[in-house]
Amino acid sequence: MKNKYCFTAVMLLTVALCAYLFTNIYVKNEAKTENNSFTVVTSFYPMYIATANIVGNCEDITVQNLSEPQTGCLHDFQMTPEDMKLLSTADVFVINGGGMESFLEDVIAQYPELIIVETIETEDVHEHSEEEEHMHEEEASHEEHEHIHDHANAHAWMSVLHYREQVEYIANALCEAMPESAGKLRENARVYDTKLAELQAQQQEILQIAAGNKIVSFHEAYEYLAEDYGLEICYTLNLDEERQVSAGEVADVLEIINESDVEIIFAEELYGSELSDTIQNEADVTVCYLDTLVRGEYDLDSYIHGMQENINILKQAFGVK
Amino acid sequence: MGLEYGFMRNAFLAILIITPLFGILGTMIVNRKMAFFSDALGHSALTGIAIGVVLGITDTNFTMLVFAIVFALLLNYISSKSGTSTDTIISVFSSCSVAIGLAILSKGGNFSKYSSLLVGDILSITPKEIISLMGIFIATILFFGFFFNYLHAASLHRTLAKSRHIPVRLIENLFAVLIAIIVMLSIKWVGILIINALLILPAAASRNLSENMREYHFFAVLFSVFSGITGLLVSYYTNVATGPMIVIFASILYFATYLYGRIHQV
Repeated sequence: MKNKYCFTAVMLLTVALCAYLFTNIYVKNEAKTENNSFTVVTSFYPMYIATANIVGNCEDITVQNLSEPQTGCLHDFQMTPEDMKLLSTADVFVINGGGMESFLEDVIAQYPELIIVETIETEDVHEHSEEEEHMHEEEASHEEHEHIHDHANAHAWMSVLHYREQVEYIANALCEAMPESAGKLRENARVYDTKLAELQAQQQEILQIAAGNKIVSFHEAYEYLAEDYGLEICYTLNLDEERQVSAGEVADVLEIINESDVEIIFAEELYGSELSDTIQNEADVTVCYLDTLVRGEYDLDSYIHGMQENINILKQAFGVK
Repeated sequence: MGLEYGFMRNAFLAILIITPLFGILGTMIVNRKMAFFSDALGHSALTGIAIGVVLGITDTNFTMLVFAIVFALLLNYISSKSGTSTDTIISVFSSCSVAIGLAILSKGGNFSKYSSLLVGDILSITPKEIISLMGIFIATILFFGFFFNYLHAASLHRTLAKSRHIPVRLIENLFAVLIAIIVMLSIKWVGILIINALLILPAAASRNLSENMREYHFFAVLFSVFSGITGLLVSYYTNVATGPMIVIFASILYFATYLYGRIHQV
């Protein structure tokens, strides 16, 4: 009888102690050199790469990303306590906007002093319900905002043109927040922009040959890509992790491919390859597996490399030398 | 301990209210062999939300709650009428409601919007929701205070209890409704996939040790609160989702007590 209570006490203590020890070891390994510098938190990968490039080697600014690199698109992202802590220490929070980080709304409300840099205007995007967003009705009027076009689709970083605008916008916002480092930040942004401009020049080469071609896309992010190359998207099937495709949709895709003589499909390797294989068996098309650039190494040039990779694939697909 | 953050304080409070509740209710659920029932209830949350979405109701919590209560009562009714065994009926109900929920919610590829329901997010709890939890906590205590003996009698021997003029049907229904309400109120923070583990594991662990009702409840509540708090703290420091962490601790306790029970023949 007594034994039982002793056992329970010992068991609970042991478990608590083990939990404490392991957590301690874990936290020590993870411990980052934290100082009192200015902290910029970014909401996800492309934003992190852009911001990290702008900040570059500014010593008094730390850039940290919210989601882990493997989280990818924010649909399946869940805030952990670590993220909440990170946000509470942040001075500036760079987000993509356009409804991408809708899960953050409540969180942001908790930190009224946080400066939020939203690289896309949301107001117009928000009017679209998810349903409509899915239909991909491009905004009829491309109202020119001071920094970016309006889109019912928030994957703006997929277009080098838009990405450059985003970089510029972040740079401006950071300079405003930290006037003392403005010179360095602007210089870094300029250097990065030059690299991006090179990419855009390559895109122009493809554009000249590819413009007007019809494609089918398996991810809404490619809409921006198509815009860069002047391609016409006949059909978008938005595939992501939780999406199940119905037989009717596959039939629709095939019908459209045959009707409009589509020769090229844009797909994401991770979610689109199975469906692409099916379609390839049924119709004479080339599938281009393009990176959506939402996950990868925390390397400053990873956006450029990823985009270069995409450009190479497209060059091959359209027969550009 | 992270208590300087508002979200941690809220999560802490919520854990302190939810876990004893789960402990208490779990004992009865395990006793009455209703583990599968509460699991099915959790799954019905999907359909509840889907119905809310279809009807265009902004507060899907409400439809979720109403649907779960109807679901629980209907389940009770059919399983008492039908000759088929209860687990088959529960399984039919559960898969049926999951299918309806998934079908509606995944329309247009939008299921990702609701996927957070599967794992839950205790960090997003608001003070208002804590108050409603407090309300259900009091209701549960009252219910157990008044009806525990009846419920216990009915679970031991239904016919005998009926012959003693105990309103068995009414009490069973009340209990089912109570489980429905608690599961629905906490599902957003705990997640559909693991909510049942929280109900069952502490009680099951406690069963390995205890010899009478008093001990059974005591250990269940103790284990539940312990795994809740440890899970929250560890998840706070290690950057892991809270719900699964709590369940991991509850499972450790279960296996430890299981071994103890086997060795000492409790």
